[in-house]
Amino acid sequence: MARYIAQRLGYSLLSLFLLSLTIFLFVRVTGDPTTLLVEPGASQADIDAIREQFGLDRPIWVQYWSFVASLLQGDFGQSFYYRTPVLELYISRLPNSLLLALAAMAFSLLIGIPSGILAAVRVNRFWDRAGKVFSLLGLSLPSFWVGLVLILFFSVYLEWLPSSGSGTVWHLLMPAFALGWYFAAAHMRLTRSSMLDVLGSEYIKLARLKGLPESLVIAKHAFKNALIPVLTLAGINLVIMVNVAVVVETVFAWPGIGRLLYEGITFRDFPVVQAIVLLGGAMIVVVNLLIDILYAVIDPRIRLEG
Amino acid sequence: MTRNRHTTRKSLGLRLPSISCRETRERGGVPIGATRRHVLALAALALIAGAPGPASAAPADDQLTWGVHVSLAPTWFDPAEMSGIITPYMIYYALHDALVKPMPGKPLAPSLAESWSLSDDGLTYEFVLRKGIKFHNGEAVTSEDVKFSFERYRGSSSKPLKDHVAAVETPDPQHVRFKLKAPWPDFLTFYTSATGAAWIVPKKYVEQVGDEGFKKAPVGAGPYKFASFTPGVELTLEAYDQYWRKKPSVKRLVFKVIPDESTRLAALKRGEIDIAYSIRGELAEEIERTKGLTLKPTVIQAPFWLYFADQWDAKSPWHDPRVRLAASLAIDRKSINQALTLGHSRLTGSIIPDNFEYYWQPPAPVYDPARAKKLLAEAGHPGGFDAGEYYCDTSYSNVAETVINNLQEIGIRAKLRPLERAAFFKGYSEKSYKNIIQGASGAFGNAATRLQAFVVKGGTYAYGSYPDIDALFDQQAAELDLKKREAMLLKIQQLVQERTIYASIWQLAFINAAGPRVAESGLGLIAGHAYSAPYEDVTLAGK
Amino acid sequence: MVMRSEAIPLPSRAGIVRIEGFPLIPVLILAGIAFVAIFAELLAPHDPEVGKLVARFHPPAWQAGGSMDHLLGTDHLGRDVLSRLIFGARVSMVVGFTAVIVAGVIGTTLGIVSGYLGGWVDQVIMRVTDTWLALPALTFAIFLAAIVGPSEMNIVIILGLVYWTRYARVIRGEVLSLKEREFVRLAIVAGCSKRTIMRRHILPNVLNSAIVLGTLMLGVVIVTEAALSFLGVGVPPPKPAWGLMLADGKKGMMVGYWWLTVLPGVCIMLMVLSANLLGDWLRVKLDPQLRQL
Repeated sequence: MARYIAQRLGYSLLSLFLLSLTIFLFVRVTGDPTTLLVEPGASQADIDAIREQFGLDRPIWVQYWSFVASLLQGDFGQSFYYRTPVLELYISRLPNSLLLALAAMAFSLLIGIPSGILAAVRVNRFWDRAGKVFSLLGLSLPSFWVGLVLILFFSVYLEWLPSSGSGTVWHLLMPAFALGWYFAAAHMRLTRSSMLDVLGSEYIKLARLKGLPESLVIAKHAFKNALIPVLTLAGINLVIMVNVAVVVETVFAWPGIGRLLYEGITFRDFPVVQAIVLLGGAMIVVVNLLIDILYAVIDPRIRLEG
Repeated sequence: MTRNRHTTRKSLGLRLPSISCRETRERGGVPIGATRRHVLALAALALIAGAPGPASAAPADDQLTWGVHVSLAPTWFDPAEMSGIITPYMIYYALHDALVKPMPGKPLAPSLAESWSLSDDGLTYEFVLRKGIKFHNGEAVTSEDVKFSFERYRGSSSKPLKDHVAAVETPDPQHVRFKLKAPWPDFLTFYTSATGAAWIVPKKYVEQVGDEGFKKAPVGAGPYKFASFTPGVELTLEAYDQYWRKKPSVKRLVFKVIPDESTRLAALKRGEIDIAYSIRGELAEEIERTKGLTLKPTVIQAPFWLYFADQWDAKSPWHDPRVRLAASLAIDRKSINQALTLGHSRLTGSIIPDNFEYYWQPPAPVYDPARAKKLLAEAGHPGGFDAGEYYCDTSYSNVAETVINNLQEIGIRAKLRPLERAAFFKGYSEKSYKNIIQGASGAFGNAATRLQAFVVKGGTYAYGSYPDIDALFDQQAAELDLKKREAMLLKIQQLVQERTIYASIWQLAFINAAGPRVAESGLGLIAGHAYSAPYEDVTLAGK
Repeated sequence: MVMRSEAIPLPSRAGIVRIEGFPLIPVLILAGIAFVAIFAELLAPHDPEVGKLVARFHPPAWQAGGSMDHLLGTDHLGRDVLSRLIFGARVSMVVGFTAVIVAGVIGTTLGIVSGYLGGWVDQVIMRVTDTWLALPALTFAIFLAAIVGPSEMNIVIILGLVYWTRYARVIRGEVLSLKEREFVRLAIVAGCSKRTIMRRHILPNVLNSAIVLGTLMLGVVIVTEAALSFLGVGVPPPKPAWGLMLADGKKGMMVGYWWLTVLPGVCIMLMVLSANLLGDWLRVKLDPQLRQL
């Protein structure tokens, strides 16, 4: 197992390295990164100062090395707009995004899992077809449009829910729904197929032969085992949600890192944009690694194999 | 990575679910014992732990909350950096005080100074400070602080101001004398309105903490003290009960940054904020329809214009005055006014506010797209041309869009480049922009101060100049005879208009909205001022 | 949006909506959108980029205050919504198809090279692919847009750069199994150069997968482009992009002008839905092996 973990760790580190290299190179792809690294509206003196600070005249590998060095020290630059270190900003907004992602995840599982099970149990009949429609809609309706339509109905027409901002659970409902919508469909599909697999497995056939009532078979045996892949996916999806919530957060003015990215791009605050890309990618790499390790820990075969 | 995972599992004859974030491969789950699920659940919980909810904002009983349309930049805490725009005064009127400043009904109201006088030879201005005034940190306000604030001022129009002053004397803590090099009738206007030099900051404190430290924890002599500031989110100020003029009625002021207009309106409707700045167009119409909310439009001393930054470049299409005139003729000011500010703005052909001293009334602007097209053709651009970028303050993108729409009708295609306010003005003053700039200024002053900043050579926002105008301006600056001076200033404005150096749009009606908790909002009390002021006069309903 | 790229709409085991039948309606919709996009100048009643302010916020013709002149109403600048939707179709089609093709060309090429050549080339390409896949698509696209600035051409390139990785992995997988097949081995024995084999033998056989992926990616790309335009870093105004119309319409929606957001969204939905249904049918039809996609 140690070897397995070490291998995974190695791959992750490689990915992180490639990630930082990619971002670094892209920033310099236009030839003159000063337009990005300098505050909008800066004077020639400011530009020269930045050139000096980032060592833009030095060879590229030297620049890359200082870039990585500062990243490792937690220095992701200073926001032009907020005039505070970007990492600070990011960390202060992250809990809001997590909260939204959790709510969206809860919603997506609450809808996705039961409907997936229902579709699998009633395969090819009504509920299954309904599930397919739902699944299609989930894929085809962009989350931000869902959000806009929700606002139209619940804020403008019905005046039941607040249209933007955060602070109470009422503020959370619509953005969570909009964000979780797509994932509800994804979870439904996976639950369905996972359930179908389990229902067809030897284990279940044995339970049926034993004479257990069908509902007990489903509830006790199939259900639990079918859930494993779904929950694993859900874990990764949580992290993905945090990162793809840009538009939903913008529509609802939800103060998370998605909104921060929007502000970064609107106010031409490049350090913020760069940091969010780096941290977003790093987050996913790290979570993948953690899941891999977790699997190594809980799967005895891998543990023994080494 | 995934490849290895699959290899491992396939070779074991198992089909464990793929857990790469990138795939939704549908492989069945193998019955796994409870332990694994528990581990996963624990892992999930670990992820959840430490995710606090976002802050809730319930307005306290002795607090008023503003929803502000721009992000509050720390540079606006420091009067020394006044950049020629009216926005920082939102904060100056709360945190700081000046020797003399505009107040309700009085454009030059004695504040920290109880009186001033001019010597007979016109060379010395003497200010007498009020006794017993203290800064928020307990230090007394003295002539040393006045001298310090003057010398440290480096914002808009600082050079013309300082060029005229030979020395600043402080004979005693209560008296300050400004000795001019030559008689200068505009001294008071420049000192108190066109610059932030008369807004007094504590010398000892600033020298102690430095400029950056001052911006982090500003101290002034105004009716409210600095309490806290979360950049980009909100600013909180607390009443300074020892304010000389009166004790402020509202204990706490909170300024929330809400740049998105619909969000701002929604917050006002829900009572999360009590006053919302800058609500325009269809959202303003919505306020008129909503009970409990009051719409307060104020025509402010902020003319809006298009500035043709490249008009001095012979290769640019803007070099030809016919092209500039065509652009001006293409703007349908009346419709834009009706649509965006419900008709409250005042259309104008001048970049100088009409309530300023030495204002010249230009002919009313004309909307004539047909003639505009003809002029373009005459100037050699029959189908229009690609005008490049159109720079504007992002909070006025709505105006920009309508103007670009009009320009497109006659064939001038421009690309909108909105910039956040502080950055926009910085770039504007650094002369970084080209093509079209949609600018505006609500700063105090008179016609001469405006011309100085925007038209004359060396002006903060002047990208070029015309020698005859420069010469005339220098003449009037030294002219002691007021009548002759006025004539010259009027003539300069006329030249500006004839040459279409600027295409003026309107004098903006700044539309604010107040909610039911507010009794006196402070909106519209000071003529031409866009924001709530004076803060010590603001009151809550029922108090 | 990382999920979205590989998400397969419907499970293969059970029946798809139109597994045997040709998905007529989706194809008609797509063809209709393409038709509208091509003949936009003839079909649109007004100039989509210019409007008269006095005509702002007219509701659609069937509501009070609407008129036949502006069938679907006008926006905040008085521009005709119908005309903007029509021209927006062109933007969506052009950007969507071109981006899919760009991503497809890059991804397929790299997938073939990586799968066939193996060795360190394979390792390098796969590592890069994995890394880029870890970047959430929308975030990455925004980042690129911040660097090069938004324009129609740039968006296509950006989308291509973001999504090629989806192709590369799948194609590579296909190539790996193709390598073992008889006809490829024959070609090697016969002395064909690597390049010839890749071009003549491998490529035509992975084309099916590429096409299926392409149709499936179309929906994803269009939604991403709409999201980018909505955020202001997509197709720049005043060009009518559906995503941009959604952003413009939000303020008006808050005071009840629903048509500004609902209508463009419906267009996006129709296009994406149709692309997904078509892609799904293609997947089953063209190559049953792809069921496992």
